[in-house]
Amino acid sequence: MARILDLTNLMGAYGTRLLAELGHDVLRIETPKGDGVRREAPVLDSAPRTEASAFHQFLNAGKRSAAIDLATENGRKLLLALIAKSDAAVVSLPLPLAEEKLLAANPDLVLVRLDDGPPELCAYASAGLLAITGEPDGKPTMLGGHVPCAAVGVHVALAAVAALFAKERSGAGQVVDVSAPQCLASLAEQVWVEYSATGEMMERLGSRGGITAVAGALPCADGHWMISVPPDPRGWANFVQLVPHPAFKDDASLADEAMRRERKQEILDSIAEWSRQQKKNAIVEQAQSLHIPAAVVTNPLELIEDPQLLARGFLKAIDHPAFGKINFPVGALASMFQQAISFAPRLGESTAQLLAELGYSASEVDRLRDEGIVG
Amino acid sequence: MTGDRPLPLSGIRVLDFGHIVAGPFCVRLLADLGADVVKVETATRQGRTGARRGQRPGGTNGRTPHLYHINRNRRSIDLNLKTERGLAIARQLIDKADVLVENFSSGVMERLGLGYPTLAKSNPGLVYCSMASFGQSGPRHGWTGMNVTLQACSGLMLATGAEGDPPIGISNSWNDYIGGLHAAVAIVGALSKRRATGKGCHLDVSQFEASVAMIGSLLFASAVTHKPPARLGSRSNTAAPQGVYRCAGEDQWCAISVQSDAQWQKLRVLFGGDLRGDTLAARLAHHDAIDTAIEAWTGRLGPQEVERLLIEAGIPAAAMRRANEIAATEEWRWVLRPLKEHGEAGPKVIGLPFTFRGSAPREATEAPRMGASGSAALSDWLGLDESAIAELMREEAV
Repeated sequence: MARILDLTNLMGAYGTRLLAELGHDVLRIETPKGDGVRREAPVLDSAPRTEASAFHQFLNAGKRSAAIDLATENGRKLLLALIAKSDAAVVSLPLPLAEEKLLAANPDLVLVRLDDGPPELCAYASAGLLAITGEPDGKPTMLGGHVPCAAVGVHVALAAVAALFAKERSGAGQVVDVSAPQCLASLAEQVWVEYSATGEMMERLGSRGGITAVAGALPCADGHWMISVPPDPRGWANFVQLVPHPAFKDDASLADEAMRRERKQEILDSIAEWSRQQKKNAIVEQAQSLHIPAAVVTNPLELIEDPQLLARGFLKAIDHPAFGKINFPVGALASMFQQAISFAPRLGESTAQLLAELGYSASEVDRLRDEGIVG
Repeated sequence: MTGDRPLPLSGIRVLDFGHIVAGPFCVRLLADLGADVVKVETATRQGRTGARRGQRPGGTNGRTPHLYHINRNRRSIDLNLKTERGLAIARQLIDKADVLVENFSSGVMERLGLGYPTLAKSNPGLVYCSMASFGQSGPRHGWTGMNVTLQACSGLMLATGAEGDPPIGISNSWNDYIGGLHAAVAIVGALSKRRATGKGCHLDVSQFEASVAMIGSLLFASAVTHKPPARLGSRSNTAAPQGVYRCAGEDQWCAISVQSDAQWQKLRVLFGGDLRGDTLAARLAHHDAIDTAIEAWTGRLGPQEVERLLIEAGIPAAAMRRANEIAATEEWRWVLRPLKEHGEAGPKVIGLPFTFRGSAPREATEAPRMGASGSAALSDWLGLDESAIAELMREEAV
C-alpha cells in the first residue's frame, strides 16, 4: 500500500482517515506542539492534554504521527526527505514549502492540495446549505459535529485514491487541487437544480421530510421517531394499521397523497398525539415489519451500543490504553475492508522510527529533539 | 484546467444499476473521474421518480430535473430483467464491466439472479458495490430506509441544533450524497487492490454507516463519557464568537466566525470597543451577551452589508445565501458547468469540486432518455454489429 503524508487541518483529516481505512500507511506530520485537531472539543478528562480530543481520537486513528517543526530549516529538510520516500502527500494550504521543491524531491508524488477556504460555518452559509438547515421559523443552523468538514474530507479521499490509482496505472504522480468551499457548494446541488429548473427555493424543514407529504420527526414517550408515510394507497393502508388513530380510520379521503399534502399538519399532530404514548423502538420495529420507512431519532450515546453497528463490525469492543473498555468506531470503510485500525497516535509517536529509516543515528535524533526541531 | 493526460478512471467500465439518488450519484462521481458508464434501466419499472417527487413539473429527456442532473454522463440501455433474454444481455455487459453499482434493498439483485457470487464466477475481477440503507447483513439489513429516516437514525439530527431544539435535519438528499461519496472512495480503492491481486470484491456499503462515520468523533466521546455530546448550534469550542446572526429584512442572516484574539480586537474596534472577552475562554463564557450585542448591530443592516463590512475589517463572515443568490459566488462559478449538448446558454450542472492538473475535466453530457443509447453500448462493450442488435430489438429484450 501507499505511504501518504498527512498535513491537513480539520477540513481534510477525515479524508486521510479514510485512506488509512483502505490500508494505506498514513503519516501525520504535526508541529511538536500538536496540531489543531488535538485541541478540538469534546475533550476527554482521562488522557494527557494533547491526546484528549475526541476528534483527534477518531480522525487520527489508523495513522502514525511524526512531530516536526516545519518553521525551521532542518524541519523542512526532514519533510523533503520524507516526501522523497512517499507516494502521496495531502496538504492543507499554504504548502510548507514551494510546490516545485516538493515535486523536485519526488517527481512522481501525488500531491493533493486542499484549500480549506473560510471557516466551516462561513463556507456552509455561502454554499447555500445554511439556508436549508434549521427550523422553518427559527434560526438557520449548521450541521453539527463538524459534519461539513467531514463532507469535504470524503472528497479529499476520493481525489487522493483516484490520483493514486492513476499513478499505479501510469507511473506518474499528479497534483490535485481540492477546494473545500467548492465541495460544500457541490453538495447544495439540489438547491440549485430546484431553483434553476422550476424557480422554487428549497427551504428549511427542521425535523420534517420533503419527499412524501407526511414525514417528520415526532415525539415518543422516550424521545423522537422519524416517519415517512408511504405515498401509495397500499402504504397508507399499512400505515393506518400502525397508527390506529380514529382520525385516519374514519377518513377515506386521506388515502390520497395529494389530500394528505393539504392536511399535512393536522395529520402530523394526530400521529404525534398517538406516538407520545409509545416507546420509540417498539413503534419503529412495528413500522418496519409493515414496510413503512421509520427510524428512531438517535444520539451518539445510543449509537455506541447500536446492535446493527456492532453486528457489522463498525463498532468494535476494545481496551484502550487511555480510556479503558469502549466500543470503538472503526469506520465505514475499515469495517468493510476488514482493515485493522490502530488507536490514534500519541504526538510524535513515530518520529524516532521515521528518522531512523531516513538514516539518522540515535544521537542525531536526540540533537534534533533538543533543538526543538522534532518532538 | 486543460491537458491531455487521461482522467484517473479513463477506460474503466461501470455498469449502473442505481436508482433515486445514492447509486446514480456515486456513478456520476466515477464518470466525472473518467469512467465509461452504462446505466441499466427498465421502462416497465419507471414508477420511482425519486428525489423530491410529487412536486415536479416535467423535466428533460423524460426525467425529473433532479434525476436529469444526477444521471448525466452515461449511456442508457433499457433491459427487462424479468425476461431471460434481458437478463442474458445484462450478464454479458456485466462480464465486460470493471465495476457494478446497485442500491436496491438488500436481496433484490440476488432474486434477479445477479448476486455477487454468481457474477464473480464469470468475472472474477468485478468490483461489485452494493449500497443498501443498512447493508447486506446485521439485524436491520432488510429495513427500509430513505434520506430523512437515515438522517434521523445516524445521529445527524441530534448532533445538529442547540440544546433543547427538536431534531434538526437538512432539506436536501444529504444522506444519499454521503453514501455515494463513501461508495466511490471504496470502489476506487478496490480497483487499486485489484491491480495487486487480480481479484475484484463485493463492497457491502451501508449508507447508515457512512452517515454515522461522519460523527465518529462524537461516538468516541460518548463511548468514553457515557453522555450524549453537547448540542452546540452553530457555535464552536475553538472560535468565539461564532454564530448565525439575524440581519435586517425577512429571514435574513449572516454567519460570523471570530477565529483569533486579533480578529476579536478588530470586531471591538468596529463596534466602538464596548465588548468584554480578551481571551477565547472569556468570550465562550460571555457568548450570549456578545451575541446580543452583535445582533443589535447586524439587525440594522442587510446580510451582504454585514458580510462586506466584516470582511473589510478582516473578520470571517458570510451572508446566508439562498438558491437565487448562490450562482454569483466564486465557489459556485467554479462548480457550475455547461452541458455539451446545450452550451453556455443551456442549463448548468454541478461538476467535480476538484481538478487534476494536466487533465481536462470531463465534459458534461446530459442524462439520456431511457434506453436511448442501448445500441451504442451493445456495439461498444459487446462488439455486436447492427444486425445482431436489430435481432435483439425484435425480441423486445432491448
